[in-house]
Amino acid sequence: MNGFTLKLRAVLAALVICLGAATLDVSTAVAQSAQPAAPAAAHEEVLFRYLQTQGSGNLVGRVSIPDHKAATLIQPGGREFQETWRGPMKWIAAVAIIGMIVLVGIFYAVKGPIRTTSGYAGRLIKRFRGIDVFAHWLTAVSFVVLAITGLNITFGRYLLLPLIGAEAFTSWSEAAKVAHNFMGFPFTLGVLLMFVLFLKDNIFDKTDLRWFAQGGGMIGHAHPPARKFNGGQKIVYWATVFGGGALAVTGFILMFPFQIVTSIDGMQLALQLHGIIAFLMIALIIGHIYLGSIGMEGAFRAMWSGKVDLNWAKEHHPLWVEEIMNPTRKDSSLPAGAKGAGAD
Amino acid sequence: MLIKRSEAEAVRGGLAASFAALSSGALDRRAFLRRSGVAASGLAALGALSAGTVKKAEAGPMQPGVRVELRKNLCTHCSVGCTVLAEVQNGVWVGQEPAWESPINRGTHCAKGAAVRELVHGDRRLKYPMKLEGGQWKRISWAQAIDEIGDKLLRIRNESGPDAAFFLGSAKFSNEGAYLFRKLAAFWGTNNVDHQARICHSTTVAGVANTWGYGAQTNSYNDIRNSKTIVIMGGNPAEAHPVSLQHVLQGKEKNRANLIVIDPRFTRTAAHATEYVRLRPGTDIPLLWGILWHIFENGWEDKEFIRQRVYGMEEVRKEVAKWTPEEVERVTGVPGAQLRRVAEKFAKEKPATLIWCMGMTQHTVGTANVRAACALLLATGNVGGAGNGANIFRGHCNVQGASDFGLDTASLPAYYGLDEGAWRHWCRVWEVDYEWMRGRFGPPGADDATRKRMMELPGVTTTRYIDATLLEPVKDGTRQLAEGQPNYRAMLVFGHGGNTVVRMPEAVAALEKLDLLVVADPHPTTFAVLHNRKDNTYLLPICTQFECSGSRTASNRSVQWGEQIVEPIFESKTDYEVIYRLAEKLGFANEMFKNITVRSKVPEPESVLREINRGAWSTGYTGISPERLKAHMKYQRYFDLVTLRAGPDAPAEVRGDYYGLPWPCWGTPELRHPGTHILYNTHLHVKEGGGTFRARFGVERNGVSLLAEGSYSKGSEIQDGYPEFTMAVLKRLGWDKELTAEERAVIERIGGNNVDRVSWATDLSGGIIRVALEHGCSPFGNAKARAFAWNLPDPVPVHREPIYSPRPDLVAKYPTRDNFMAHRVINYGRTVQQLAVDRNIARDFPIVLTSGRLVEYEGGGEETRSNKWLAELQQDMFVEINPQDAAERGIRDGQWVLVWGPEMPKDKVCRMKALVTERVGKGVAFMPFHFAGWFMSEDQRRKYPAGTDPIVLGESVNTVTTYGFDPVTSMQETKCTLCQIRAA
Amino acid sequence: MARMKFLCDADRCIECNACVTACKNEHEVPWGINRRRVVTINDGKPGERSISMACMHCTDAPCAAVCPVDCFYTTADGVVLHSKDLCIGCGYCFYACPFGAPQYPRLGNFGSRGKMDKCTYCAGGPEADNTPAEYAKYGANRLAEGKLPLCAEMCSTKALLAGDGDIIAQIYAERVSTRGYGSGAWGWRTAYKDMVAG
Repeated sequence: MNGFTLKLRAVLAALVICLGAATLDVSTAVAQSAQPAAPAAAHEEVLFRYLQTQGSGNLVGRVSIPDHKAATLIQPGGREFQETWRGPMKWIAAVAIIGMIVLVGIFYAVKGPIRTTSGYAGRLIKRFRGIDVFAHWLTAVSFVVLAITGLNITFGRYLLLPLIGAEAFTSWSEAAKVAHNFMGFPFTLGVLLMFVLFLKDNIFDKTDLRWFAQGGGMIGHAHPPARKFNGGQKIVYWATVFGGGALAVTGFILMFPFQIVTSIDGMQLALQLHGIIAFLMIALIIGHIYLGSIGMEGAFRAMWSGKVDLNWAKEHHPLWVEEIMNPTRKDSSLPAGAKGAGAD
Repeated sequence: MLIKRSEAEAVRGGLAASFAALSSGALDRRAFLRRSGVAASGLAALGALSAGTVKKAEAGPMQPGVRVELRKNLCTHCSVGCTVLAEVQNGVWVGQEPAWESPINRGTHCAKGAAVRELVHGDRRLKYPMKLEGGQWKRISWAQAIDEIGDKLLRIRNESGPDAAFFLGSAKFSNEGAYLFRKLAAFWGTNNVDHQARICHSTTVAGVANTWGYGAQTNSYNDIRNSKTIVIMGGNPAEAHPVSLQHVLQGKEKNRANLIVIDPRFTRTAAHATEYVRLRPGTDIPLLWGILWHIFENGWEDKEFIRQRVYGMEEVRKEVAKWTPEEVERVTGVPGAQLRRVAEKFAKEKPATLIWCMGMTQHTVGTANVRAACALLLATGNVGGAGNGANIFRGHCNVQGASDFGLDTASLPAYYGLDEGAWRHWCRVWEVDYEWMRGRFGPPGADDATRKRMMELPGVTTTRYIDATLLEPVKDGTRQLAEGQPNYRAMLVFGHGGNTVVRMPEAVAALEKLDLLVVADPHPTTFAVLHNRKDNTYLLPICTQFECSGSRTASNRSVQWGEQIVEPIFESKTDYEVIYRLAEKLGFANEMFKNITVRSKVPEPESVLREINRGAWSTGYTGISPERLKAHMKYQRYFDLVTLRAGPDAPAEVRGDYYGLPWPCWGTPELRHPGTHILYNTHLHVKEGGGTFRARFGVERNGVSLLAEGSYSKGSEIQDGYPEFTMAVLKRLGWDKELTAEERAVIERIGGNNVDRVSWATDLSGGIIRVALEHGCSPFGNAKARAFAWNLPDPVPVHREPIYSPRPDLVAKYPTRDNFMAHRVINYGRTVQQLAVDRNIARDFPIVLTSGRLVEYEGGGEETRSNKWLAELQQDMFVEINPQDAAERGIRDGQWVLVWGPEMPKDKVCRMKALVTERVGKGVAFMPFHFAGWFMSEDQRRKYPAGTDPIVLGESVNTVTTYGFDPVTSMQETKCTLCQIRAA
Repeated sequence: MARMKFLCDADRCIECNACVTACKNEHEVPWGINRRRVVTINDGKPGERSISMACMHCTDAPCAAVCPVDCFYTTADGVVLHSKDLCIGCGYCFYACPFGAPQYPRLGNFGSRGKMDKCTYCAGGPEADNTPAEYAKYGANRLAEGKLPLCAEMCSTKALLAGDGDIIAQIYAERVSTRGYGSGAWGWRTAYKDMVAG
């Protein structure tokens, strides 16, 4: 875990450097000038200590075969990868996913489904276009397949293998591997589509502050006002964009091993990030699925038909209803009483 | 390491226990397979394997349930002489096992040895005879090939005489093959016969033989285990002779010995050194004199040894005095303090051995380099004992044997030379008439005197075949070719790469000018593709030594018998058979094979070796019978690792012998001489392998005795120096009475009316040798070694700058020798050197280029680059460049670069990868010499006959290398020339 | 019970690559798959050392820990083997392996890999010993014949040692005390969580 956190820290540091517009050249130049002379006697321990100060911590030499990976003699990081995989990864997965399921269960048991208190108005208003619905379900279906086949890689060995036996598990896993690889493409497309289609309605504003301040209405029965998407939905949106995007990027790195990222440390990091982000995403999406289905009356229809009942909309997204009913009003954050230009 | 399988059993408790029921001792694969009873039908199940598994079913070589035979042969790569243990099923070579019993390699191999099995599966081998017809390769039959080649050769002979043909043989021949090939050239009537020794250790042979008698490694690889100081100069055995490092490193460890590596390049050998000395390429003599300077200055020399056993050390002392530490550093770049350290260790921490390879020999001063090295050994008394000596690591698996059997322009087999006595000796052995033999020589219609002159004139060397083909014999009144030597019109190349000689751009013109080119080899070699010939070019598929039997001589003079592992594959034939068929076609097979058993056109190697036994007295090949050699291979395990001697527990057939009967193995096989592990070793009785320095150069010179003074081998009845044994000497000693009647009869028949002149070397009865040994005397006499060799161009070695020197400022003081005629061709070295200075070549070509071996490949590399297991490990030709030189040129590690040399055509460049490394110093570049198939940026793959192109092709270093030849042996300069490099 | 290990004596290894071609020869390993390789560190400088490396048959093998299909197993001799019938070619073992041992034939789309191949310590695989099926998938099974891995048996300078860990460690320790230097048992700390005097 130690090594893994180090790597994570390194990634964060790199991000900070990028954001700070500091060039990487400067930092590497500094590193080189500070480089101590290579030890004359190649004692394994001495060399290891020397190499630990040199960055990767791997023992890299020269080989005559073209496979550059072969030049790494020893990468102690493999052991750390093993430990991370065996411990923290599984804990993160278990805590995030089981935690979310438990949370949702408790919520359902305590609160039950969120109902539309004013009853259905019977009048439907259009909430999503066809392409919106397509993008959502493209992402959703591929995500579910990816999640199941991905979780199989992590937990199948413990949960499924003992049940169905090694041969069957291998056949299934081989198919799952192929499915996982191929589903990466529709998923990436879906995430890109959603990013473009829903971007304008997902910019955070003051409304969201109020919405968050009231806990999104989860506690108690008040519905904090929301525009087309409430704060929670925006979180799901941005998590999908960033998390899904990260999954896509790391996924492609893994799909083309040592071609995009050429170092073993990079590959390990990609795999670990891919896993951890996936676990968090799965947890989040479990919550999302709950709220989009049995957790909230009427929500599922929104993404199924693209239309919602007016009353449901008024309860959950009053500001949005106001906007579409009164299209001139463009900015809900205007001071009360102010009129939109040309309203008169 | 677990050396023996029985140890492995003991170690592996868990496994061994589970096999307790199967075997109490060694469990071999055969036993296992027989017991396991796996049905052959199991193969059928393999069809169902999915694509992801490692290989297709047919690749699996081991057939369960089929009897496995173990056969012993020898690695066909370097000269260490590793035993290869082959597993054969149904005539197919299916596996290699460690040959634990060999005292030389003890089960081990290098990359090449561990991959030799591929050679006889090689689907890139030449499969049947082919010829070029209108520029296209066409398959022909053996009969047609021999017929057409023979007819063309005979026509050339009729028109231009026998010397218009060049017989280029091979260090890959067995001893028997080399001997037959030399005999073929003799019976054809030419001395234009050569092999790879010319370009690897010819200067060693000349230098060492002129110093103390024989041109060979004095000790052995195993004996290095006794050394306290090991100096390796101009050699990289870690790559060129990897298994030798087993002995070097274990010796170093046990004795805590000094391992000093002197080389321009920080080699993989240097990585294991206790001290590394980096010198400028081509400055070996100043460096050696620089070491001797400290030795003489401090009185560290072995004065008693010099007094008793060395002639002319005073002359050396005079030359050495000029090489003060300052001048040495100015010329070589090595600081005096470092050389003082080396000198002190070499002189004081004895026994010290000097090991050298081609870094010393491949120079215009190669012979002088070698003699300077000998002088260092002699001055410190480091010759003729355990752990010391000149351990010359030779290159190819049988380069020693091929040299011994006279694949040489200047000698008949066993170094008899070419004078009338030598010819008469061999004619007696061959039972042919001397006059008939003389009639084979000389131009058509020549008189006897001319024929005799050509018969005794050393031929053209492989390094000069280009000039022998292209130079006008006489130009502007200057003789460029020796009188009587026509231009070459035909070349027969057996087992020899076309990229091994410098100046390849000129080689193309020479090859294209030839009327006939015959390449007999398992692979097409560069000779098949370098030129643009359209016709009169033949490729004959020869099998490897694994597909025939015969003996080979390792670097340490041990002779080992290799047994045929499999029948020749495809349509390939053995060297023996092809030589026989050629002799038959050329019309002298009956004479040539008079005393050799030939079965359906295949000469029997045992019978060839017996003929050698009858004639090669001078090197003591006479005691080395096929039966004794086979017994040695059978009882390998009885020979000691360090002394190489079979102990008292050994079977009677080999008891007391040294492994492989290292020559000289005196007298007849019946005499049971044990062989000579260490040459010139006075601590042993001659009958036990002891000896003295050879009396080869007379008994006195200018009133000074050349014979040893007060030094003699153990048990010698003559306790002082003595000349070589002749009948006259025997008579004076009164020992002639001990000759048997049969011996005396033979001697009288040979001597005719001058019996006194019959010597130990020409006495076909072996009687003189036998009697000399009885009295504890070396048959060849007991002389001093010569530090001063008056018969050579520089009697005391002097420094001479390379032809293309990076230091033109030093050329005036240390110029190369003036132009001269050698080996029938003029050497324009001095002219070329002066031109290089005048044109300031060193400015335009600022990088010194040196060359050497890679562990994965060997020689010209056709065979090893066609081996998929080896080729994978080195996929690109490269040049090693120092990081500073690379930075100046904007060259990154691994990128393509262009290299060109001063003799390449204008606007032509060679293209290869850069290996940026500190292995080479600033201003020096290194290239491996095994690559070919790219020529000045042109990929020649399409020119190979279909399916025979090696897997890996690349530029040859010899496209860049330049003019320059040793005055004694016409050795070429490949270790020091100039080049320029830039990023591609 | 013997615990098989490899130990490469870097002060003996001369990068002759015999171990590499012996392996290729014994198992007919195809081009591009390198069950064993030799790496040179500090190339061209004093202190240059070469080390022959393959699967070290680790204690608590990382490959086995991360394998999604649990295709690895450790024999009674401590040899880490795998089943090519179960392997799905996911490549995780390569990320976990501290020694770069797993090799994959390139197959199919993207970077998709075939079934993993690695050094078997010349001990074959799960199939019956020395059957053609075992040979085709894993190569020869020398251990079952009472022989040790060919790479070590053929090592030119006897740098590469194979056999029971305690014994080869002892051989190495004796060497170090004889010659007075040693650069340690490369990879042992990582592979066996163990050190040898050096």
